[in-house]
Amino acid sequence: MSSETEHATETADGAVSEVGHDEFVSSEAEHTTESSDGIVREIGHDEFEPVGTLLLVLIYFVIIGVMWAFMYFIEFLGNGPTVV
Amino acid sequence: MGVFVNDYPDEAFIVRAALTSSFVALAIGGLMGIIQTLHRTGFYDSLISNADYYTVLTLHGVAMVLLFTIFFLVGFFQWAVTDSLGRSSEDIRITKLWYAMMVLGAGMSAVTILGGFVDAGSLSGVDADVLYTFYAPLEAHPLYYIGLATFIIGTWIAGFDWFRSWWAWKRENPDERTPLRTFMVLTTMLMWYLASLGVAISVVFFLIPWSLGIFESVNSLLTRTLFWFFGHPVVYFWLMPVYMMWYVILPKLAGGRLFSDPLARIVFVLFLVLSVPTGIHHQYVDPGIAEGFKFLAMTNTMFLLLPSFLTAFTVVASIEHGARQRGGKGYFSWLTALPWGRPAFTGMTLAGLMFAAAGFSGMINAGMSINYLVHNTLWVVGHFHMTVGTAVALSIMAATYWFLPIITGREIFSRRLGLAQVLMWFVGMVFMGNAMHRAGLAGVPRRTADPTYSQFDYTNTFGAVTELRFQIALGAVFLTTSLLLFFAHLVLSSFDIGERAAATPDSIPTPLSGPEHAPAVLDNIRLWTSVAIVLILLTYILPIASIVSDGGFLGSYGAIVVDQIAALLSPVLDTGGGVIG
Amino acid sequence: MEIHKYEKFWFGLSLLLIVGFIGTITYGAVGAGVQMVSDSGGTVEPSFSSINDHEKFAQQEDNRAVPVEGEEDKYEVGVVAQRFIFQPGTNNPIEVPEGSEVTFYITSPDVIHGFSVVGTNANTMVIPGQIAEITVEFDELEGDERKEYGLVCHEFCGAGHENMAGKIQVLPEEAWNSGGDA
Repeated sequence: MSSETEHATETADGAVSEVGHDEFVSSEAEHTTESSDGIVREIGHDEFEPVGTLLLVLIYFVIIGVMWAFMYFIEFLGNGPTVV
Repeated sequence: MGVFVNDYPDEAFIVRAALTSSFVALAIGGLMGIIQTLHRTGFYDSLISNADYYTVLTLHGVAMVLLFTIFFLVGFFQWAVTDSLGRSSEDIRITKLWYAMMVLGAGMSAVTILGGFVDAGSLSGVDADVLYTFYAPLEAHPLYYIGLATFIIGTWIAGFDWFRSWWAWKRENPDERTPLRTFMVLTTMLMWYLASLGVAISVVFFLIPWSLGIFESVNSLLTRTLFWFFGHPVVYFWLMPVYMMWYVILPKLAGGRLFSDPLARIVFVLFLVLSVPTGIHHQYVDPGIAEGFKFLAMTNTMFLLLPSFLTAFTVVASIEHGARQRGGKGYFSWLTALPWGRPAFTGMTLAGLMFAAAGFSGMINAGMSINYLVHNTLWVVGHFHMTVGTAVALSIMAATYWFLPIITGREIFSRRLGLAQVLMWFVGMVFMGNAMHRAGLAGVPRRTADPTYSQFDYTNTFGAVTELRFQIALGAVFLTTSLLLFFAHLVLSSFDIGERAAATPDSIPTPLSGPEHAPAVLDNIRLWTSVAIVLILLTYILPIASIVSDGGFLGSYGAIVVDQIAALLSPVLDTGGGVIG
Repeated sequence: MEIHKYEKFWFGLSLLLIVGFIGTITYGAVGAGVQMVSDSGGTVEPSFSSINDHEKFAQQEDNRAVPVEGEEDKYEVGVVAQRFIFQPGTNNPIEVPEGSEVTFYITSPDVIHGFSVVGTNANTMVIPGQIAEITVEFDELEGDERKEYGLVCHEFCGAGHENMAGKIQVLPEEAWNSGGDA
C-alpha cells in the first residue's frame, strides 16, 4: 500500500530517513531500469545543507531585480507619451 | 505495493481515458498552432483566410488551455487520490459520469467552433468565433456556452468524487495526517470551485439566455469581469498539478527526497487563499473600474508571487538533495550529477527553468501601470506560451514518460526519443517565447490575423521585426516537430514493439521534513476556504456593484434600478403574462 | 514548524522583492503621475444615436482635437471605435497640436475593441456602454515635420479586425494654426 510511504514517519525521529530509503534502494540498487536512481549515498535531514540552491536563488533574485528596474524605469517610463 | 494499473484497474482505465482526451486536444491545438503561426508571420498564409484565422485561434485556445490541461489534471488527480489514500473510488459509476460529462461538454463546444469553418447549409449559423475568452457582445452559438458549462460541471463532480474518497478515508483513519498528494488535490479543487463560480454565473445566467434570445443584451463589462474572476485562477488550476509533480515526483527522479512536506502544504494553502482575488489585473486598462480596485488587485497579485518563490527554493533544494545523493559535490557542479539522460527529469527541470523566466514577464504583467506597455501585445502571448505552454505542457509531456508505465503496465518505447522530444520543445519555446516578448515591446498586437498595417511601421529596440517573425515561425516548427515526436512515442509505447520490460513498482520516498512537522492548522481546509471567500468578497463586491449600478445587469446604461430588475425578469413576466393577466 | 534557515532567508528576500515591486508601482502613480484608466469617463448607451448625442462625441466635428474652453494647450478628442474603423483616426488621421495635453474619450456601439497608440504607453480597452477617458501629453516637436503615431485595435472584434488601424499626427504650431489638412 503506497499510503505506507507517506505514513512511515510514525516511528522514532532518527528512523525517518531509513524507512523511506530502504524501500526503494533495495529493490533498485542492482537494476539499470528507468526506476534506478543512481544513489551512491544517503543524506539525511540533519546533514543536508542546500547551499547550491541558495546560490541559485540569490542569482535569480539579482537578475529579477535588475530586469525589473530596467523594464520599469527605462523601457516603460521611456516609452513615449504615457497616460497621466 | 504493486503497479497502479494492477492494483486499481478501474481507476487506471479512467486515468488512461482522461489522458487520451487530453492528448487528442493537444494534437488538435498543436495543429491549429502551426497553422496560425505560419499564417500570422506571413510564411504561409494561403491555407486559410483571415476570417478563418479567428476560428483556428478559438480552437487553439480552447483545446490547449481548457481541454488539454484540464483533462490531464483530472486523470492525474484521480491517480493521486487513489494511490495516496490507498483506496478505490467510492463509486466508479460517478467517476465515469464526470468523465463522460467532460467529454460531452468538450464535444459540444468543439463542434460549434468547427462550425466556423463551414459557411454553407444548415451549419452556417453554427459557429463560435469568439476566442477562448468569448467576450460579449461577440456571440457564439448557444451550444458553445452550454458545452463549456457542461465540461466545468463535470470537473465539479470530479472534485466531489475525490472529497468522498477523502471523507471515507478519514472515517477509517481519524488520527492520520492527510497524505500530501490528496491534500494538494483537495486544496486545488476548492480553489477551482471558487474560481469557476465567476464564469459559471456569467455563462449560465447571462450568456446562455442571451444566446438563446431570452435576453436582448448583456452588460459587457460585467460578463468580462466575471470571466476574469475565473480567468486568473484558472492558470493555477493548470499549474497546481504541475507543482504536485515538481514536489512529489521530481525529487524522486533526481534521486532525492522532497525537502519539506510542510512547505508544500503552505504553498498550496496560499494558492487556495490568494488565487481568485487577483483577476482584475487582466483589466488594468478597462474603463468602468476605478483605480483603487485595480491597485488592490495588484497588491494581491504581487503577494501571489510568494508561493511560487517558495516553490522555487523547495523544489531546487530537493533536486540538489538528489544530486548530492548521486555523488554530486561543490557549489554548482552538483548539477552535473543529475540524471539528464532521463526525459522525465530533464523535461520537468527545463520546464521549471523556463517558468522562472516566464515568471518575470508575469511580474511585469502584474505591475499595473507598466501594463500600458504590454497590454494586448505579443508580450502577453510570449508570457503564457512560456508558462502554460512550457512549464505546464512540457512538464505534462515529461511526466508522462514516468507516468505511462504506471497506468499501462509497460515501459516507454525509448528514452532517447523522449529526451529528444523534450529538448526540442524547450529550444522551440526559447526561440518563440523570446521573440514574442520582444515583438510585444515593439507594440505588435496579439489576436490578429495579420500584424502588418499600412498605417505604420514598428520600431523595435532589440532587433529587426523581420528577424522576430522568423524566430517565431522557427520556434513553432520546433514545437510542432516535438509534438509529432511525442505522439509517435505514445503510439510506439502502446504497441508491443521490441522487448520492453513490464513496469516495476516505483515508490515515492518520504520527504526530508515530513508532515509531522506541519502544524495541524495547515490541514484545516475549512478555515483556508473561509479566508479565501472573505478576500474574494473584499476584492470584488465593490467593483461589481459599481459595474451593475452603472450599466445594469443586462446593459441598460442610465436606467434606474427598478427598470433594470424588471428587464432581468421580463422573460418570466412576459410568459406568465397570459396566465396571470 | 521548522523552516531551514536558507529558506527563511529566501522568504525574506521574496517579500523584499514583492514590496519593492509594489513600491515601484506606487512611485509610478504618485511620483511619475501615471494614471490608470478608470470609471471617470462615465457610461453611454451603446448605440450610434446615443453616442452622437453625448457631449464629448457631438463636439468632435472632424479629425482635429477640440480645444477645451478657457484652458490653454488642453484639448479633447472623441473617438468612436467600431467594426472596423476608428472614427476619427482611420479615414483621416487624428490631428493634435504639439505641446498639448489631449484627453481622449473612446467608446464603441458594437463590441469590445482596443485602442493603442503604437510605440507609446497610451493603451486602453474600449467597452460598449463605457467611455474610456485617457489624458496624454504630446511634447513640443523638434523641427517642422509632423510626428505620426500608429493607432491599432488590439482586441479581436470580428472578421476584419486585422484591418482596424489608424493614425495620430502631432502638428507643429504653424500647421495646426493654419488648419492642417481639414
